[in-house]
Amino acid sequence: MKEVFTMWRHTQMVVLVALSAAIYAAVLIPFKGFPLVPGYIELRPANAFPIVFGLLFGPAGAWGAAIGNLIGDFFGTLSLGSLGGFVGNFFLALLPYKMWSVFFRRDENMEENVDSAKKFGVFILLTLLASAVCAVIIAWWVDVLAFFPFVVFFALVFFNNAVMGGVLGPILLLALYPRVKRWGLLWTEIVEPEDASSSRLQRTGAVLVWVGAIGAVVVGLILGLGQQAPGNLGVGLGLIPFLLVILVGSFMLGVREQVESVEESMAAESEESRT
Amino acid sequence: MDPSLYLDRDTWVHRLDPRTKMFLLVGMFALPFVFLNPLYELAVLALVLLFGYLAQSLANLRRIWFILLTILIVTTILWSIVGSGRTPLFLFVEQEALLYGFSIALRIVITVIAGIIFLSTTRNEEVGIGLVRLGIPYRFAFAVSTALRLVPTVVATGLTIGQAQRSRGLDLESGNILRRIRNHLPLLVPVFVTTVRSTNVFSMALESKGFGARPRRTYFLRTAMTGRDALIIVGFAALLAGCIALRVAGYGGLEGFSR
Repeated sequence: MKEVFTMWRHTQMVVLVALSAAIYAAVLIPFKGFPLVPGYIELRPANAFPIVFGLLFGPAGAWGAAIGNLIGDFFGTLSLGSLGGFVGNFFLALLPYKMWSVFFRRDENMEENVDSAKKFGVFILLTLLASAVCAVIIAWWVDVLAFFPFVVFFALVFFNNAVMGGVLGPILLLALYPRVKRWGLLWTEIVEPEDASSSRLQRTGAVLVWVGAIGAVVVGLILGLGQQAPGNLGVGLGLIPFLLVILVGSFMLGVREQVESVEESMAAESEESRT
Repeated sequence: MDPSLYLDRDTWVHRLDPRTKMFLLVGMFALPFVFLNPLYELAVLALVLLFGYLAQSLANLRRIWFILLTILIVTTILWSIVGSGRTPLFLFVEQEALLYGFSIALRIVITVIAGIIFLSTTRNEEVGIGLVRLGIPYRFAFAVSTALRLVPTVVATGLTIGQAQRSRGLDLESGNILRRIRNHLPLLVPVFVTTVRSTNVFSMALESKGFGARPRRTYFLRTAMTGRDALIIVGFAALLAGCIALRVAGYGGLEGFSR
């Protein structure tokens, strides 16, 4: 997670946080008129953005998604529930970029685009994982606050994230990646390798995140369906170990290797163009 | 379309230090969680509405009345169905579950209204400076306040692009909800590209003006905690403590409800 904090040193990353937050909020606000459960959650095509932001802008995209969601709430539904939205959206953008390199060998092309069948498959898998983690966090929080039952809210948020991210995400990424790369705004080009966390425990971290996410979904659904009503300490306490496992796993997901790999490929490209 | 909620009024609430307003916001978020009885929740709602009236910010509630009403209805119905009590009311609904549902609905509505009052009385710049004064790192606060300021710009960009696409035959209005959402999708890429393209120029402009050059910053907008801020904070803390004491003494609960 080192880069999540060190990125604030780079002015470009700070600007990317602000711009991604503004874009996310600006696309969220008009769709507040298409509610799934009025007052709680609406159809959100904008939910494709956090995953794309994460892959393009890395930690800046994660902060941008979190702040953007909060600002979206500022325009009508700011409440204690917004805190869960902040953290959930942060993880929705964080996990795709942190987990991406787990699926590739160092000598493989690990550009965060969907221009091959393998990359498309990885994108869909990570969208499902990040959507589930985001939905677990938000649904757990609104259940703890006794606002809404875990099961219903989990299903709505997961559906929103997974469908919008899975359908719109690849289209957006294909259209945007080449432009962002040309402008030199990919996070792997801005963040220095020493600013990123070490990749030593990456595989262990990835396993922990998967275990935590699947465990949280399964246990959350079992406890939620059993207790029916929100606010019961069953879901509130029962999911804490899994949320902690996800958090610890995320801390172990290093991305230095990914940044170094991009640096090497850029150096090779410039060498090629010179010769 | 102006999504900003800030209302430029000259009230004592507007003149409070942003930190005081943030404290009041957190306090108003906490207050409805103290009680479970809908009568007590109604009293808290009346208090929050009175505060909103004094802040001349209730006009903004007109923009979200539909959301508030649906929260009230949906939450009350939901809890009436999933909760249970001792006194049968009609069909499978018990009186305690209905009261509990209404209480939770009021709790959510109160927190949303508190948020609206905060946003109606606090400028974006004040949000930023308030965060910094509370110890949040400047760069984070800068990103938040910049994003807040940029939202109307991005929305305006979207509208301009929408008009341009419409002049070329894109139909954004007709069809059912899904169709209308699908019609809006071609706008996402140009909105993103137009906004993100300015990143490098924006960064250079910031750095040329000394962004992050020194750890300590000065601000054009001057804010200071005054005696009135201290009085409000102490008064509200006393109110919150009083409510908690009431609850501990056995008032404001709801008997007979089970989950």
